[in-house]
Amino acid sequence: MAGSKLQSFWNHPAGPKTIFFWAPTVKWGISIANIVDFSEPPERISYPQQVALMCTGLIYSRYSMVITPKNWNLFGNSIFMAGTGLYQVTRKIRHDYMAEVTEAKE
Amino acid sequence: MKILQNFWNSPIGPKTTHFWGPVVGWGIPIAAMVDTNKPPELISGNLTTVMCVYSALFMRFAWMVQPRNLHLLALHAVNESVQLYQLSRWLKFQGFLGDKSLQQKNEEAET
Repeated sequence: MAGSKLQSFWNHPAGPKTIFFWAPTVKWGISIANIVDFSEPPERISYPQQVALMCTGLIYSRYSMVITPKNWNLFGNSIFMAGTGLYQVTRKIRHDYMAEVTEAKE
Repeated sequence: MKILQNFWNSPIGPKTTHFWGPVVGWGIPIAAMVDTNKPPELISGNLTTVMCVYSALFMRFAWMVQPRNLHLLALHAVNESVQLYQLSRWLKFQGFLGDKSLQQKNEEAET
């Protein structure tokens, strides 16, 4: 039972013998790198970069569902990437905005 | 005229998501190009390294996917170039790129 499931995974048209598996797998690295960078100070965040990651994540979620073969790995990855991008943007906005508020109070 | 028609009706043309996906994706290399004018302290080594590997793989992906997506291929080729440049700036800033005088100074400082 387990053997044939593994076999069907191994031989899948978007399986580990193809670029359709490895490209999105490595793309998870982008979200992971972003998560690692959550601990970096917000001054080091780049607005253009994070907004770009967020937008591409959203669009690629759709893209992954209309290509042949369908790519669920890329879909989940794109959702995650959009999420981490959004979080980084809000971190930086909060930092930039809150700093102004504290200055205004003083 | 025929070129425009071919483009309009292309399987990776503006009537399909295969076109608009990469259009939005251009944001990534453009953002990186904007970032080349900023000081290298702001570069994220993690993210830039991952981008270099990612774009290399996605150039192959764009070639092999159905329909073949040369637009996506071009996008990742450009991104690969920009990210490699940013990576070199970061490596230089971190002192990893064989600046002999810098290495010698570090060795002298250790001894």
